[in-house]
Amino acid sequence: MSSKKNILTQITRNKNFSINARKPFDENVIDFISDFSNEIRRSSKKNNYDLMYLSLWCSRKKINELKKDYYFSQIRLGRGLIFHICPSNVPTNFIYSFFFGLLSGNSNIVKIPSNTFYEKNLILKVINNLFKKKKYSNLKNSNFFINLEREDKKIDQVSSICDGRLIWGGDKTINEIRKKWIPERAIEMTFSDRYSISIIDIKKLKKLKILRKQKIIRNFFYDTYIMNQLACNSPHFVFWIGKIDKKLINYFWEELYHFSIKHYDIREKITVNKYTKMIKNIIDYKKFGNIKRYDNNLYVIDIKKNISNIENLRGFAGTFFQLNLSRLDQLKSYVSKKCQTATYFGISKKDFQKFILENEVEGIDRIVPIGNSFDINQLWDGYDIISNLTRLVNYE
Amino acid sequence: MYNFIDNLLKIDPYQIIKAEKNELFRSYFEKLNDHHYDNCNEYKVILDNLKFIKSNKNLESYPMLPINIFKDYNLISSSKEKIVKKVLSSGTSGNSLSKINLDKVNALNQMKVLTKLLETFIGSERLPMLIFDQDPKNNPKIKFNARVAAIHGFSLLGKDYCYVLDKNDDLIFEGLENFVKKFGNQKFLIFGFTSLIYKALLSQSSSNKDKINLSNGILIHGGGWKKLEKKKIKNREFKKILFEKYKLKSVFNYYGLVEQTGSIFIEGFDCNYLHTSIFSDIFIRDKNFNILKKKQKGMIQLMSLLPSSYPGHNILTEDVGELIGEDDCKCGLKGKYFKVHGRLKDAELRGCSDVI
Repeated sequence: MSSKKNILTQITRNKNFSINARKPFDENVIDFISDFSNEIRRSSKKNNYDLMYLSLWCSRKKINELKKDYYFSQIRLGRGLIFHICPSNVPTNFIYSFFFGLLSGNSNIVKIPSNTFYEKNLILKVINNLFKKKKYSNLKNSNFFINLEREDKKIDQVSSICDGRLIWGGDKTINEIRKKWIPERAIEMTFSDRYSISIIDIKKLKKLKILRKQKIIRNFFYDTYIMNQLACNSPHFVFWIGKIDKKLINYFWEELYHFSIKHYDIREKITVNKYTKMIKNIIDYKKFGNIKRYDNNLYVIDIKKNISNIENLRGFAGTFFQLNLSRLDQLKSYVSKKCQTATYFGISKKDFQKFILENEVEGIDRIVPIGNSFDINQLWDGYDIISNLTRLVNYE
Repeated sequence: MYNFIDNLLKIDPYQIIKAEKNELFRSYFEKLNDHHYDNCNEYKVILDNLKFIKSNKNLESYPMLPINIFKDYNLISSSKEKIVKKVLSSGTSGNSLSKINLDKVNALNQMKVLTKLLETFIGSERLPMLIFDQDPKNNPKIKFNARVAAIHGFSLLGKDYCYVLDKNDDLIFEGLENFVKKFGNQKFLIFGFTSLIYKALLSQSSSNKDKINLSNGILIHGGGWKKLEKKKIKNREFKKILFEKYKLKSVFNYYGLVEQTGSIFIEGFDCNYLHTSIFSDIFIRDKNFNILKKKQKGMIQLMSLLPSSYPGHNILTEDVGELIGEDDCKCGLKGKYFKVHGRLKDAELRGCSDVI
């Protein structure tokens, strides 16, 4: 026990730091998160989409709604210390991960992104100011944010005393971190590199009035172009379900192209990388169907039905692979374990349920309407993160 | 494919005007492109997928290969057994190396063309040569990288080689002094990477160094300005200091890709612009790959008639350039003339995958 205390003091440089397992959705924690939300709303630049979203996401109202979903009939407590390892090139991911840990009743040590981001700096500033309040001194003494290099010994140290470890990152990072020992009772959740797809019912889209069609296309834009398709939840594939309608599909891409001209300023370096990625894909996959370039803003590539190794095929900065399927159940062979999100239009829950259960589909952990791919949720990558971070006490 | 380079070697590489060049270059380029299509699988796959149909195409409509492709793939347009040399280069950003496969014909053509181009600037006689680099013989462990490849290529122009950098790339002063004592009164050649020349001759002065007189030297230097940009040294200033300190008048910067060794672009006489030759061409493109007119900055695409054992004849670089004019440079050399403005700026990428 004393060595655990030593590690904690050494890492946090705070003699009063201790691990606390509380009940989930503790009032003090909810107050803290709600104060954080208000402060972010007040101090962030108004056009910062990431921070505005974050502020709304963790408002008191939203957290209380979330709490209702977690009315636990069993006895539950936090597990203890959760170690969060977050990616260096996503500015806000670490704070969501932290809130999941906090809401489920845990103490947290959070590795923050190594890159400099305006969002990261503001978030940490707000957190530090809140920690100074007496009301939150208990949170200050049980939660810590830390800069860590890939090879830092502290990663081994924190791992060796944690009760749960969350690793967000590419496959390489996850494999490296996983080699570092965690205690026998500790749990681990990994959020690895995934790909996402979009599924559109041709008939239903066709029926829409023009303004509604445009709305869908704009939503599709936000799901994909925002992070140059580098977020796992951004679709790379569009599966058109039903009888093919070339006019409609062309309209979809034309409209997306025109919208992207206005709202996406492609930089020259990204252009080169995008073109390079396409040429590499051609060398690797050898046989595509039609390849259509709408300037360098949008590449649309038809894939063949018998394409293999689809899980490694990725676009970049507005590159989409499309395929027409007559029925939803033909989708099965294009969905591997690596498939995370399916965004959809015109397909019901019942249809998806039938498709997934009857075909025993290996992938897809998340099905959301087109436009919601970036919505962050405690149900992620097939886990219920908040439940998993609590310890269940069974009473019979 | 017959070796058409020999035909071109009979012509003055810098005296062909636009109308003639378009015809000549295009016809050879088309043949070369067919050769790569027929002999390099990957290249065929790319052109087929892009639905490239060659009939009467303009030069600019031939699909370019992005420069980083040579890092991820080992591309060969010759039979594997014929490859005699593999040049590795760290060229652009990133950690992996470009792999350039040379067969005998290709390697020979590189040397012939390089010699031909430099004749215009230094004459056809072999000159005593001062090299601002390490003697490759002293360091056999050095792989065949771009630096060694460049020395190897340029050394054909000289004799009585004298390497004046030690293993830390610092100047061996006595070496320099001895060379100048021996050959300083006649025409001689100086070669080196721009940044190494800068480090050895210009970065710090000493009273010894200042006595050195290089007024009979002809300096050929290249390899980019990236390291010097931070120090805010530009071409004109570089020349000015070399003249003021060492009386060196003839200074020629060159620009080229290791992927297109041989058909380099050399600065004209006192014009400060880089020039195409009969063996090369350039286009400047905007972010949608549209061709830009004169005096507009954009991405540089380079064409060369030399690469025959790997498909490096049409490359989209990551450099920024600007076309200044064609056929009418005050230095008298015909062809396109242009400026290079360094590398494309990096773009901040966010995302959860292990990035591109």
